[in-house]
Amino acid sequence: MKNKNFSYSHTIGIASFLGRGFMNPVDVRFDSTGLMFVLSRSNAGNKNVRISAVTLDSEFQYEFANWGTAPGQTTQPTAMAFDSEDRLYVADESMHNVSVFDREGKFLNRWGEFGVGPGQFNRPSGIAIDSNDDVWVVDHLNDRVQKLSTDGEYISSFGSAGSGPGQFRFAWGMAIDSNDEIWVADWRNDRVQHFTHGGEFISSLGSSGDSDGEFDRPSGVHVSSHGEVYVADWRNERVQVFDSDGGHIETLIGDATLSKWCQEFVDVNPEQAGWREKAGLFEEEKRFWRPSAIETSPDGLVLIADSCRHRIQIYQRTPQPALV
Amino acid sequence: MAHLLRRAGFGATRDQLDEYIGKGYEATVEELLHPEYGDPEEQDFMDRYFIASVEARSAGHADPQWSWRMATTEKPLEEKIALFWHSLLAVGGIKLDHGLEMLTEIDLFRRLGLGRFETLLLAISRNPGMMYWLDNQNSHKDAPNENYGRELLELFSMGIDENGEGAYSEDDVKAAARAFTGWASKTTPPPFFLGPFRMQFAFDPDDHDDGEKTFLGETGNFNGEDIVEIVSRHRSTARFIALRLYLNFVSDTPDDEEIERLADVFQENDGEIRSVLRAIFNSDHFKSPAIRFRKMKSPAELVFGTVTLTDRFTIPEMDMSTLANQTLFMGQHLLNPPSVEGWHEGEEWVDSGALIERINFASGEVTRGDARGVRRMIERVAGTGAELQPEEFVDACLDAMGSIDLSDRTKSIVISHAAAKDTPFRPGSAGSEDRTLEMFQLIVSTPDFQYC
Repeated sequence: MKNKNFSYSHTIGIASFLGRGFMNPVDVRFDSTGLMFVLSRSNAGNKNVRISAVTLDSEFQYEFANWGTAPGQTTQPTAMAFDSEDRLYVADESMHNVSVFDREGKFLNRWGEFGVGPGQFNRPSGIAIDSNDDVWVVDHLNDRVQKLSTDGEYISSFGSAGSGPGQFRFAWGMAIDSNDEIWVADWRNDRVQHFTHGGEFISSLGSSGDSDGEFDRPSGVHVSSHGEVYVADWRNERVQVFDSDGGHIETLIGDATLSKWCQEFVDVNPEQAGWREKAGLFEEEKRFWRPSAIETSPDGLVLIADSCRHRIQIYQRTPQPALV
Repeated sequence: MAHLLRRAGFGATRDQLDEYIGKGYEATVEELLHPEYGDPEEQDFMDRYFIASVEARSAGHADPQWSWRMATTEKPLEEKIALFWHSLLAVGGIKLDHGLEMLTEIDLFRRLGLGRFETLLLAISRNPGMMYWLDNQNSHKDAPNENYGRELLELFSMGIDENGEGAYSEDDVKAAARAFTGWASKTTPPPFFLGPFRMQFAFDPDDHDDGEKTFLGETGNFNGEDIVEIVSRHRSTARFIALRLYLNFVSDTPDDEEIERLADVFQENDGEIRSVLRAIFNSDHFKSPAIRFRKMKSPAELVFGTVTLTDRFTIPEMDMSTLANQTLFMGQHLLNPPSVEGWHEGEEWVDSGALIERINFASGEVTRGDARGVRRMIERVAGTGAELQPEEFVDACLDAMGSIDLSDRTKSIVISHAAAKDTPFRPGSAGSEDRTLEMFQLIVSTPDFQYC
């Protein structure tokens, strides 16, 4: 399937338990310098969670937020977001808190605890920062979105359990657009909900299914600086792109080539390169397997966290739409 | 009813029992025998919270998926029959090392495990994991490898007697091996840089021996399908499968007369496993007191039976992944049976080390006062009466835990422990909840709790 509005650029990543590479990346973000940060979820047994800083030409820089419960460590991290000062906020589902790091991975602070009260969480899963540097967290088993200060002081919240407007069922990712409006991937309702900055319901995008504009457990939502809405249509193994009115623009299913790191692995392991050649699953290799999150740059790069293939697939939006 | 659920599933809570009793015994048997195949809605939870298990590269990555299903299933016999076939048609992760494929096999057992044996045996013979596990990719037209043909007859269908003799000859093994030449698994990319890819079965007609063969007295240009068909209608297979079902669902001690009856049912019903199990569950033999609480729980039965009771997982919490470790500590490494023979069951499950693991696990689980199932048990005991004498208190706890029976000797010891408190049990009084949890803990620490 040829993409109409996106050209595939390249892929970064290799399955790796530590250091260069990722293990089930579930989120990806740029800092203000254009350095890419990748959040590896891994699993409880292997404990290879981490955040990796990598340049767009595949130079691994450093990693942090590794496994553990001590300050500066994480156990089931699920989402992250930068504020205007390049502080990185990381939501951890099993510790029910948010850890804060600087862009070099130095631990700064953490806040939040298990509970249902203001500023408490029951499995925080999505996180985004608005233009005022307030932190918004999808508090998913409490079926709400909380707004907090950078120090975790509760400001406000909205949402309840259910399937009606403004209600959530196991919501996951979230985004804040350039108008400071809120978008939430309402995972088990198979839709994305759009709210005002004050938490008032505006509209709902999508319904259950696998046609254009339908979702099967959307995990992530991202709004580019051009106002286009990207949805990680998780169990449909695709990313759908919409205009700001919800009109379907395109569906991406994955176009990966071997990353630089994978190519280096194949080059020095001829026996395994032979297995790959003999298997001949080159089309399957390209495709997304549980794409979880999306990030874009102002100049039109689109990064997609391809969780079960341990990589970030990168596209270029062509041509760039007008800025909204 | 509780006995049925302990054998056809992993036990049941008191509330579940009440629901089943309302349906009636035979209706419950039919419900258990007819699970609607398909992923439960809650499968998405497992995939979300344990994303690494979606692309499980190893048994260790895969086992949270199965643990979640066994701990939360509403189709208990579907999981129980998968567990049964996992031990009988055993494929081990230590060699296969492909968690995704292991889960595919478990799902094959869910899908076909209650249907015709021939269908299942053919499906497992075309299973790429099995082909790899038993070296059939190394079985060629001009050099057959006998491994799969031999295990198919000895361990998967016809069986052997205590003298190591089967109703087949070495020539039959050789003929079966020839018939399966060309059956293999396709090469898959290595998992080391992009994670695993699904394995696929491959048949290479150019590498298949299509020549004439004589197998179990029949002659023809047999292929694998023919071998499976001939084996599946053989009386030895009916008897072997009846024996294995009996040992798994009825008793650790074979009853020859009952096994012959079940072998008849197998053959009269075209090898349908569902029919054999129906004949088991509805029989007076199965329902008799001599059968109840006489079968040693496997580690999986103990762990997932206890977790069913405590009902503590609303979503797959991080420690879901430790449940499979618990069965491992007790001697049953799920998705990694020790050999193609599966596990040796019955009393062999328990040695002193395993017993300590069993007791520690169960007593730790039933004292989780915040677990939903434990809360319901506490409330049920509390609702029994305003004041309970020691024996009444013990009976209330046993009933709340899913109608558990204790031997007279064990029960008298437990009652004397309850009587050691100076006062009768009064729900709502200070310490009553701790006293209830302590009694739950004592009950699961008895030898009787090791049996189902």
